[in-house]
This record gives sequence, structure tokens and C-alpha cells, in this order.
Amino acid sequence: MSAQYNEVQLDALRELANIGAGTASTALSEMLGRSIDLAVPDARVLPMADAVDQLGAPELEITGIMLGVEGELPATVLMLLTPENAEKICVMLGLEPHSDLAPSALGEIGNVVGTSYLNALAGMTGLEIEPTPPATVTDFLGAIVESVLAVRAAASDRTLLLDSSLVIEGEDCSIVFLLVPDHGGAEELLERIGVA
Amino acid sequence: MSDLMARMGELCASGTPGDSLVALGLGSCIGLVLLDRRKGVAGLAHIVLPAADGHNKDLNPLKFADKAVPELLRQVVALGGRKPMLEAIVVGGASMFAGAGSTLEVGVRNAAAVKAALAAERIRIHAEDTGGTKGRTVRVDPITGVVTVRKAGSKDEQLYPAVSAISPKSRVLQEVA
Repeated sequence: MSAQYNEVQLDALRELANIGAGTASTALSEMLGRSIDLAVPDARVLPMADAVDQLGAPELEITGIMLGVEGELPATVLMLLTPENAEKICVMLGLEPHSDLAPSALGEIGNVVGTSYLNALAGMTGLEIEPTPPATVTDFLGAIVESVLAVRAAASDRTLLLDSSLVIEGEDCSIVFLLVPDHGGAEELLERIGVA
Repeated sequence: MSDLMARMGELCASGTPGDSLVALGLGSCIGLVLLDRRKGVAGLAHIVLPAADGHNKDLNPLKFADKAVPELLRQVVALGGRKPMLEAIVVGGASMFAGAGSTLEVGVRNAAAVKAALAAERIRIHAEDTGGTKGRTVRVDPITGVVTVRKAGSKDEQLYPAVSAISPKSRVLQEVA
């Protein structure tokens, strides 16, 4: 029931994350005109309080771009990057670092990268999924992550995190990409790829 | 001397000099403080959702406002706090992703549920910093009863006891979204 998976299933989820992130990195590469490296993805099931700690210090200031996912795989996509890296990406897009347009430009990056990831997942699993428009905030890491987890806390004390890192070559700039399925969402994914 | 952490769905209480009760990076969650300042005891709960009703009974009950409030009260009283003297301070309940649908309402509902649970126990709220769109860290010194709140990009500010020179009687700070 509440978010227990065996190693075969976690491996399968890692592989899905890898393919999704691969597609996402291609999209990011095209937008920024840079090469993107992909760190090895991970699939982890953690108590929610530990999930916050695992992602970093709760009071670290971070920029988060969130997309909701609706349809047969209800989930949240959360992209996290330091405010400094958010500025670097704005500069790569030809914007002034503190421009009023920065949040919407980052939202658009999140939209394209997140949608590519989701399209790859949908293509592999046949699930019908639809992203909702992006929201961008800069705040405490803990506050951003717990707010994403809180809406799932009614179903389980634990959460599944599928995470990947997209590293922009030569810029010392990376984006952590998280897919957090709603309760039951990961089961649906596993069923579609035959390791339920 | 140590920092006692209340992470998601956890609570802590102390009456030991030098201790701090801390909830780091509250977003839509609520940090609820109960204090008996004369006795020098305090408790802090990190509440995630409004009510346990209708949810799986195997879940950690302390993440729900309706279960966490009585348990926090029990722990503070066990350390010597006197129920009629307890003061409540409510922090958090932000909408981090304003306009992004379902996450929007959780913070508001959490704050309402915590207030209802306090009213049911006849405990008065002496200070409040809830709502808005910013995350918050709350720290409590159980001995002095001083409660500070820090928002991202800002410094610690004392929420309670009130330090405002403009209106010393106003003990309620409420941020409107």
C-alpha cells in the first residue's frame, strides 16, 4: 500500500526517469544552445520529513519551478536551482539577470523541460497526462518542498522521489529535476511497464 | 543546549535552559507554539494537514491539526505547563505557489483548522504570522517565551512578545495575501 517498492521496481522507475530526463536535457540544450550532461537518476522512497532533508538544508534559498501533472499519472514536477544559477540561465537566454521577465522566462524553461520529460514518460507507458502551467518561486527549500509534499500527506507518510540532475556544460550550473507522483501514481507507471 | 527540531508531522517540547524549539522552512504547514511563560516551558508542532478524519488510520496522526493540538498540549502540561495559562502562537500556512491550484488552499485550511482545535481546548492565540506567499522559520526559547520568525531573504524578527513601539497593545501580526 503506502509507497513500498522492491528493487526491481525502483530500478524500473530509475530507468523511466533516465529516459524522461534524457529527453528533457535535449529540450533544454536546444533552448540554451549548450550541451547538457545528465547525472545518474535516482528513485527513492522516503518518509516525507527525510525527503525535505535529503534535498538540502531547509533554510537554503532556492528557486523552484513547479508544474502540476493531471490525467492518468497525477503528480508534481519540481525543478530546483540556486538563485545564482537561475540568473545564469536568464543571461544565457539573453535577459537581464534581475529583469521582471526572469520568473516567466524560468517558468517557460520549466514548461518546456517538464513537458518533454512527461511526453517521454507518456510515450513509454501510454498514459494520458497533461501538465498545468508553471509557477516559479524563490524561497526556503524546505518551504517549497514541504508544500509540494503536504498535498500528498493525506494518503501516505512516505513519498517517492524520482530525481535527476541536468548539468549545463562549462557553466557550473545545474538543475535538479524531481517527479513526485501522487499516491498510486507510481503503481500506475509500474503496471504499464509490466513490473507491478 | 540544543536545537530541538520539529520536522513535518513532528512535535517537540522543552523546559530546559538553552534549548530552542525550531521548525525550519514552513510553507503551507503550520508551526504551532504553546507557551507557559511563567513556568518556562514550551512546545512546537509542525502541522501538515487540517484533519485526520477519513484518512488511513495507519498514518502518523501528529501531522493533522486535530490530533497534534491535544498531543502538544499533553506534552507541555507534562513538563509543568498549566493549561489555563497557555499562550498559543501560530506561524505558517503560506500559499507558496499562489495561483497553482490545489496547493493554494492547504495553508489557509491548515491555519483555520489549528485555530478551531485551539478554540476547542479554550487556548487563546496571542500572536500570529500566517498566510501570504513566503516560507517561514520559527524559533522558540522555552525559558524566555520569545518566539522569532524568519522569512527567506530576511532576518529573524521577534513575533512574541510584541515589540512594536507603534501599537504596544496589538499583539496580532497578520499578513494578508
